[in-house]
Amino acid sequence: MRPVIVLVTALLLSSFSGLACLASDLDGFTGQKGTLKIAGGTAHIPVMKDAAQAVMEMNPEIKITIAGGGSGVGIKQVGEGIIDIGNAGREATTAELETFGLTMIRWAIDGVAVAVNPKNPVHALTSEQLRDIFAGRVTTWKDVGGEDRQINLYTRDEASGTREVFWTKAIKKEVIDTKANVVVSNGAMKTAIANDPYAIGYVSVGHIDETVAPVTLDGITPSLETVKNGDYKVARGLFSLTKGDPQGLAKLFLEYLLSPSGQDIVVEKGFISVQ
Amino acid sequence: MRWLAERFIIGLSLISTALLFLCVVVVTTSVFWRGLDAYNLQLIFGTVNPLDALLGRKPVFNGLLPALAGTALLVCCALAVATPVGLATGIYLAEYAPSRWRVVLSALFDILAGLPSIVIGLSGFAVTIYLHRLFPGRIGPCLLISALSLGFLVLPYIIRSTQLALESVEPAARLTAPALGATRWQTIRHVLLPASTSRILGGIILAIGRAAEDTAVIMLTGVVASAGLPRSLLEQFEALPFFIYYISSQYSTSDELEMGFAASFLLLLLCGFLFLLAFVFEKFLTRNFSTR
Amino acid sequence: MRKADSRQESILLAATIGSGTLVIGVFFLMLHLGWPLLVSGQFFSLLFQEWRPAEGIYGIYPMLVGSIAISLLALVISLPISLGAAFSATLLAPFWARSFLLLLVRYMAGIPTVVYGFVAVFFLVPFMREHVTGGSGFTILAAAIVLAILISPTMIIFFVNGLNSVSRSHRLAVDALGGRPTQKLLYLLIPQAWPSLAAGTIMGLGRAMGDTLISLMVAGNSIAVPETVTDSARTLTAHIALVIAADFSGMEFMSIFSCGIVLYIFTVLSVGVIRLSTGNKIE
Repeated sequence: MRPVIVLVTALLLSSFSGLACLASDLDGFTGQKGTLKIAGGTAHIPVMKDAAQAVMEMNPEIKITIAGGGSGVGIKQVGEGIIDIGNAGREATTAELETFGLTMIRWAIDGVAVAVNPKNPVHALTSEQLRDIFAGRVTTWKDVGGEDRQINLYTRDEASGTREVFWTKAIKKEVIDTKANVVVSNGAMKTAIANDPYAIGYVSVGHIDETVAPVTLDGITPSLETVKNGDYKVARGLFSLTKGDPQGLAKLFLEYLLSPSGQDIVVEKGFISVQ
Repeated sequence: MRWLAERFIIGLSLISTALLFLCVVVVTTSVFWRGLDAYNLQLIFGTVNPLDALLGRKPVFNGLLPALAGTALLVCCALAVATPVGLATGIYLAEYAPSRWRVVLSALFDILAGLPSIVIGLSGFAVTIYLHRLFPGRIGPCLLISALSLGFLVLPYIIRSTQLALESVEPAARLTAPALGATRWQTIRHVLLPASTSRILGGIILAIGRAAEDTAVIMLTGVVASAGLPRSLLEQFEALPFFIYYISSQYSTSDELEMGFAASFLLLLLCGFLFLLAFVFEKFLTRNFSTR
Repeated sequence: MRKADSRQESILLAATIGSGTLVIGVFFLMLHLGWPLLVSGQFFSLLFQEWRPAEGIYGIYPMLVGSIAISLLALVISLPISLGAAFSATLLAPFWARSFLLLLVRYMAGIPTVVYGFVAVFFLVPFMREHVTGGSGFTILAAAIVLAILISPTMIIFFVNGLNSVSRSHRLAVDALGGRPTQKLLYLLIPQAWPSLAAGTIMGLGRAMGDTLISLMVAGNSIAVPETVTDSARTLTAHIALVIAADFSGMEFMSIFSCGIVLYIFTVLSVGVIRLSTGNKIE
């Protein structure tokens, strides 16, 4: 009797550990080596960094470089073949997909939130007010129920996908005041707003934490829930693009992003899983 | 009236000297002070065991090692290119060039010295795009391109220090060797160069300092926010000045900000020291060789 | 022996020609990449147009104004300070303090640009926002103050060299006549060293105009034509750094080469002026 139990236990144990091994989403990287170059959308960077760290810690033979630049850069550079994976915070246009022969996958859902400094008493705006603020027609916080201080506008450069989404969906292609300060990434936008009590800008919902306050727009507060259930309209996917079909390390990396552990990182970094 | 002008000059000089001193003290101490909690091994190696990190067995995240290694390799490569070319050009300008050409060429290198580094970065980037089109998939923005661009950027420092050093060798030393039958090259090789070593070294050290601190060039030619230890010259890399720039605009925790200050202090120390060293080489050590 | 000698010479010559060609090559590279704009006659209109990529207008006028405003203001702030410090270092300070001052200036010259920018972002900008200019604090004024500090060592070193090169016998003559140091400065050194003072000033202007990081980090980068010193502005250099990101084949990308051409021409002109005013090379 005894040996049978031992045998069964041993079998069970080994199958469990075997399962654990099989379940590791990083397995595909075993025995691989080489360099994977990633650039583009800046909303993606926190997820990309963690995913890359997981891969590189598991297999130090693989090297993954991550750069920003904005969605426009991601799409153009992957199209030119300078990088392996280009990130975009907006959907690539059909023209872009066709000229370069790109493949696009979506691995997270995100929104673009209007954000102010937490010290700012103004936490809700209407679309109309938002348009007036970004067009430069309303220039003091007093006019929208805040302190008597000048509104400091922050916007992104032209390569930004976040800007594109904000511009088309939140302010309906209103021309943004040219006097607005320009920052180069979602991270930089967050930092700028966190440091300037009279700032207003827009940032990926995934980047919102206690250092910046999201602005309720027409009664709807941007959050994971409202983006997920479709109430908050300024939503978008986070995309990665490859030239042609993904191959080699790029393919493995994208598969990892879509795997359960990849999606765990997505959720942990404040985005919505696509599963 | 004249008395007033004199008083004014004295006042101006005192105030401005004090102001400058204040600036230096404020910049240095504020950077040092704000990074105070970050000065430990973790600043360099992150959470990885230093030995594993140095041997490249484990990649370092949240540490400065990749950026430090990137900057070190970058500076070495840039200087490896710029030093021989700069020396050769400097020697030619000082000893061989016909005077009309000397004027034209030194004007050219003055222009190079004055060119904004971003313009050099932009040219490096443009060249990279051409190369990329020529050899698809092989060459993109990378450490090699950055190093070549930086080498070009610091070239005038080496050229000028070599040229000035050779030109300021006293005539007596210059004439003795030819009188003994030495050729022009022998004179240069055995008399002029040894006599001006310290000034030339000063120029090279200055070039190292410039190459280590420049951010604009590498921003366009291959530096990235996250790359790990450099493994090949044809890959993108991290560098200290870019790390500082990156942190300044997008630190996410106060720890990261502290690391930014600590990194600034490291770079400040390194470059400040190199510039002082260059000055010492150029001014004090040369006195021993000249008659003055 | 002669043959070996000529071989050395030709190696040296090759290095010289190579590096010289590269300097000119950079200009032609810019010219080549911006050529489509030049032929279509758009280059000159670019200089007077605004930057509105959404409407297909890629003018660099706001950045031109931004660069000039920031560097001139930096020069205005830096010039008296640099002159004062140079006077101290050559004449007015006690002898022991002069070497110390020169060392300090060298150390300052070594402070990396990015560190100045870093300190400015966290100390100067919030200060300006709360106490001086209001707004976001990312302004022409803030950038100019930092640039003024950045360019002062360059100018001081140049001024000191100029003042020290005034002939020794003249200086001794003033001393012999019982002139005070300030008198020596006012009536001998400044009039004599005048060309190098001018050259140093232009040198400083060039450094201010050519710096990228400080304006990128501190000036706010807005694309509006600045009207006052408390406005946010973008310089030509920062514009290159910001737009490099974009498309390689588009007009946007071509237009940043026009920024490159403008900066190159500015450098050539300033080097020309410096050489004319000092009569020979820059030390």
